[in-house]
Amino acid sequence: MNILQYGWRNLWRNTRRTCITLAAVTLSTAILIASYGLMDGLMQHAVSNATNLVVGEVQVHAQGYRGDHSIYKALNRPDLILRAAKQNNVAAAPRRYGYGLVAVGTKSAGARFWGVEPVLERTTFDLAQRLDQGRFLSETSQRGVVLGQKLARSLQAKIGSEIVVVVQAADGSLGNDLFTVTGILKPAGDSIDRNAALIHAADFDELFVSGGRIHEVALNSRGTVSLEGLTELLSIAAPEEEIMSWRQLMPEVSDMVNLFDAFIWIFGLIFLLAAGMGVMNTMLMATYERIREFGILKALGATPWRIIGDVAAEALVLAALGTVLGTILGLAGSYYLQEVGLDLSIFAGTYSVGGVAFDPIWRATISPKMVFIPVMLMLIIGLFASLYPAALAARLDPVREDRGSSKVRSNSKF
Amino acid sequence: MTLIKMFLKTLFLSFSVCILLLNHSPLRAQEQPLTPKQILDKVDDLFRSQSSQGLATMTVATAHWKRSLSLEMWSKGKDKSLVRILAPKKEKGTATLRSGNDIWNYLPKVKRVIKLPSSMMAASWMGSHFTNDDLVKESRMADDYTFEITFMGEGEGEEIVEVTCHPKPEAAVVWGKVLVRARMKDYIPLFVKYFDEDLRLARTMTFSQVSELGGRLIPAMVTMVPEEKPEESTNIHYKKMDYDIDLKDDFFSLRTLQR
Repeated sequence: MNILQYGWRNLWRNTRRTCITLAAVTLSTAILIASYGLMDGLMQHAVSNATNLVVGEVQVHAQGYRGDHSIYKALNRPDLILRAAKQNNVAAAPRRYGYGLVAVGTKSAGARFWGVEPVLERTTFDLAQRLDQGRFLSETSQRGVVLGQKLARSLQAKIGSEIVVVVQAADGSLGNDLFTVTGILKPAGDSIDRNAALIHAADFDELFVSGGRIHEVALNSRGTVSLEGLTELLSIAAPEEEIMSWRQLMPEVSDMVNLFDAFIWIFGLIFLLAAGMGVMNTMLMATYERIREFGILKALGATPWRIIGDVAAEALVLAALGTVLGTILGLAGSYYLQEVGLDLSIFAGTYSVGGVAFDPIWRATISPKMVFIPVMLMLIIGLFASLYPAALAARLDPVREDRGSSKVRSNSKF
Repeated sequence: MTLIKMFLKTLFLSFSVCILLLNHSPLRAQEQPLTPKQILDKVDDLFRSQSSQGLATMTVATAHWKRSLSLEMWSKGKDKSLVRILAPKKEKGTATLRSGNDIWNYLPKVKRVIKLPSSMMAASWMGSHFTNDDLVKESRMADDYTFEITFMGEGEGEEIVEVTCHPKPEAAVVWGKVLVRARMKDYIPLFVKYFDEDLRLARTMTFSQVSELGGRLIPAMVTMVPEEKPEESTNIHYKKMDYDIDLKDDFFSLRTLQR
């Protein structure tokens, strides 16, 4: 008889015990898969929110631009960067930046102006879709401005409000003009909320007399190209410029991702230990219960290895069955969490961590590694948990154990 | 009145305080005895009046551009002033009104007046090396700093006096130290050095071309050079000054600003 079939049969000699252990393995696997999915979901949400919103996966600036944000430190050949991105099917958005003053009525505030290409911005990033009120900039320049939420609030600006803009232009003159508020952004990180005033690139060039200077190109492949791939692409297109990935641009998000990774492993270990104990306990009980049987087997000439094999096979079958059921349950749970998610809005509205805005719906993600890793770990721990009772069984002295167990039985009889 | 005038005023206001304190010091012995009031009046007579009107050219040079602005300015008392740009064409009519600690700008292109938010006080005024804060801080200087004579005697070929201004511990000020040098004989300033909180030199304002304007001897050229970018500078060259002209308080109003 096949050793696995033998294990299968042994399992069902005590249905209740097996079921309890099976439930432990199943639940542990399912919880591992689902919680891994949730953690990964949060992580990916954070990363994709952070990158898809506005930062992108990789950004290019002139050397030294990030130090002083000088309007004169522009990219040398932004056209080459944009062309290289296009050739590799990576979405890219060129941006101009400048500082100035915005005023509505008697309210005024400092602002950071973003000169954007509305079409490229919309196709590359989510920011253009994340408007609280109004709409994003139109394709042609119409002296529209989209404001960050806190900036709009401090100016008491509404859609259609006329805002006065005063800037120090690149030629030293005083640039000033009237813009109309076309949109107000949803919360998108503190610096955008407080400072951002998005205007059309053509309006920017006119206002700042900046001669088409571009200060930043942000690339966002939405995960289709690796960070290394993007960095390499850029280092060829713009070797003299400063190339930075989101991990460098947003170190707080990067740290958070690393922290989550550590959490997942700690949680995983706790569940694995609990499930492993359950499996080991069942195996121990089963072995003790069948000590007489093992004694007879040994007396009939079974080698210790045969007995170890039997017990291990039983554990393996149990773990396999448990992980299969657990995977089904875990995937079902993950699917639910992916599609519906956990609604955390009763605890908090839209919240942000380290300048990254989160939706109140917490969703899981599903990927092969989320099934593979828990299942493999569960099988391994199941097998290891059985080795101790298996070794116990293998070391039995058949004669003594037979006698000992008959004594127990006779005691219980009389 | 333009920022430079304010500096001068600040300077000499503080100066007068210093001299006032100094009056009992033996160092003063060499000078003919002047009462504190007389010294104060002398300083005031030299650099400030009840009111003033003037014309000046401001030339700003940075690493990226160089440009000149023609300015007309008015002042009354310590805390009211108005500056209007006469040229170039792009900025013609742009005006800054200062009343107390508030600054308003009028932008003729969009025909709007905007009040400068406090967050922009440290920003450059009209692209120069002066900040908006420089415009308003005059009236606060006497409150925020303590003054001390740190040098008196022969220097740079003439009798000079040097005053060091230290911020009071509780004062919220930009500078860690301000050092002023002036001629002893007529209290015409030579330079002002501004030090940051770490007491490193941040910028130097020098005064030159002492000439008679509006019946007074004043330095017609004021130059501000930031220490970090010595190739950059802002010059203000006074062309014409009139003192004690008839200006009503309501001249310094938003209505005049928009005229």
